[in-house]
Amino acid sequence: MISFDLLINAIVAGVLLGGFYAAVSVGITISFGMLDIANIAQPAFILLGSYAAYIFNSAFHIDPILVGVVMTPIFFMIGIAVYRLYYYCFEMRNEQAIQGLAFFFGLLFVAEVSLILVFGVDYRFVEAPYIGPSLHFGMFDLPLRMLIPCVISLAMIGALQLYLSRSFIGRAILAVSQDGGALQLIAANPTRIKEIAFGISIATCALAGTFLIIIQPVEPSIGRDYIGRIFAICVLGGMTSFPGMVGAAMLIGVAESITATFYGPSWAPAVAFGFLLAVLAVRPAGLAGR
Amino acid sequence: MANSLAISGVNAGYGSVRVLENISLSVGHAETVALLGTNGNGKSTMMKCVMGLLRPTSGTITAEIDGERMDLIGRSTEEIVDLGIALVPEGRRLFPKLTVEENLLLGAFRKSARGAIAANLDSCYETFPRLKERRRQLAGSMSGGEQQMLALGRALMSAPRILLIDEPSVGLAPILVQRTIDKIKELKERFGLTVLMAEQNFNQAVRIADRGYVIVHGQIAFEGRDADELNNNELVRKFYLGL
Ligand SMILES: Nc1ncnc2c1ncn2[C@@H]1O[C@H](COP(=O)(O)OP(=O)(O)O)[C@@H](O)[C@H]1O
Ligand SMILES: [Mg+2]
Repeated sequence: MISFDLLINAIVAGVLLGGFYAAVSVGITISFGMLDIANIAQPAFILLGSYAAYIFNSAFHIDPILVGVVMTPIFFMIGIAVYRLYYYCFEMRNEQAIQGLAFFFGLLFVAEVSLILVFGVDYRFVEAPYIGPSLHFGMFDLPLRMLIPCVISLAMIGALQLYLSRSFIGRAILAVSQDGGALQLIAANPTRIKEIAFGISIATCALAGTFLIIIQPVEPSIGRDYIGRIFAICVLGGMTSFPGMVGAAMLIGVAESITATFYGPSWAPAVAFGFLLAVLAVRPAGLAGR
Repeated sequence: MANSLAISGVNAGYGSVRVLENISLSVGHAETVALLGTNGNGKSTMMKCVMGLLRPTSGTITAEIDGERMDLIGRSTEEIVDLGIALVPEGRRLFPKLTVEENLLLGAFRKSARGAIAANLDSCYETFPRLKERRRQLAGSMSGGEQQMLALGRALMSAPRILLIDEPSVGLAPILVQRTIDKIKELKERFGLTVLMAEQNFNQAVRIADRGYVIVHGQIAFEGRDADELNNNELVRKFYLGL
């Protein structure tokens, strides 16, 4: 009976963790899945979000989630700037494949070193009333520091899904990697569309980074733990589908949580890739590939 | 108000390769004009020049839209579509992994077409009932004939005044070619369009064309002022009708 209890709680914790993973992976689903831009520097922007929350929280005691919301448009502008640089240096000259990857790798490296120089290698954390308490329903245990990020993450992804499927720019974002030239024929500028989409993919890092530092203390090299995981979730989810991505994030969250509960946390990361390989063997297009 | 297209003395090519030589042609208000020529004679290149996808080395291209005359050379493709000129391109260029309906809705990206999107979608489905049946299906999974209908539908969703169509018959079975050409006539009348259609299927194109030009090696070799003139021309009889 005790282990059944543990199992249920591990699953619930995994779902909550999965909600957070979805927030971390939604940006990559846009940039890598929809735009074919392998932005391996995504975790650096997520960490930037974490440190922004840390700065305003430690100096002015502002609620970290509020910081995340306010930073979102600023991150959008940063994303636009990064895309322009990437476009003029690589994409315009058709050199995006290998040089582009090096560009984002360099960005990741520079970001990590800068964070170390500014903040050192100490773990940083934020303070908020919901870090600590838990809700209890019978045998369920719902820590607020996991529940709140999960709920806001799903709301953010739902809003993005609506934007992509209902707005003109959103639909053009879904189309741009299939035939950018054909977008011109319907009066949409493909470069502008990609710029907006990439801006959105970076904008999501403001909140995702805030969630990260709410869930666990953060230091500059922690981003590396997420590179493999977010690409695995994106591919597992079928590259371009948000529902698929959320499903994949939950699956990996639950698998990691169960592994950590019963076998120890050091096995958890291997599970993500085990899942990825198993699913791709059966369904090469991922869970919800078109 | 009048919608027309005038191309005058256009030279164009790719790099050092010259493709179009001194092309002049016009499409009058509410006319259907055929640009006839076999493969590789420059029909698509002419279409690209009008749409701003290729910049001519010399010559002028002007369009009159709702009575206002505008120079097209130097404008971007997006601007030209925004003015009210749509192209159904060679190869159709659909978004294969989007549904039929998503493709159609994207057609209305043009700012001035957004307001009428619901009405235009309805009339699109009315003209092409097949598209309505398949609206949730991925565009890439449809047959060639259905894809051509979708490409026409998507162009119409931008509520154009001038419609360019590049080889609508290519890759279609003969019965579908006939149906597609009939549809183009129907659309033209229904929406009061001004149409320039590139075709190598001479017999089918001439059925609905008011006038036509024959393009050979990037030059206008013959201009027929009506279907009879085209049918009875020596060059046409020799090259296209095998007489
Ligand atoms: N992108 C291109 N680059 C170089 N040459 C091209 C290109 N597109 C077409 N051509 C050449 O231009 C000529 C005319 O082609 P095109 O306009 O496509 O003819 P059509 O549409 O009548 O079949 C051909 O000789 C073709 O090889
Ligand atoms: Mg052609």
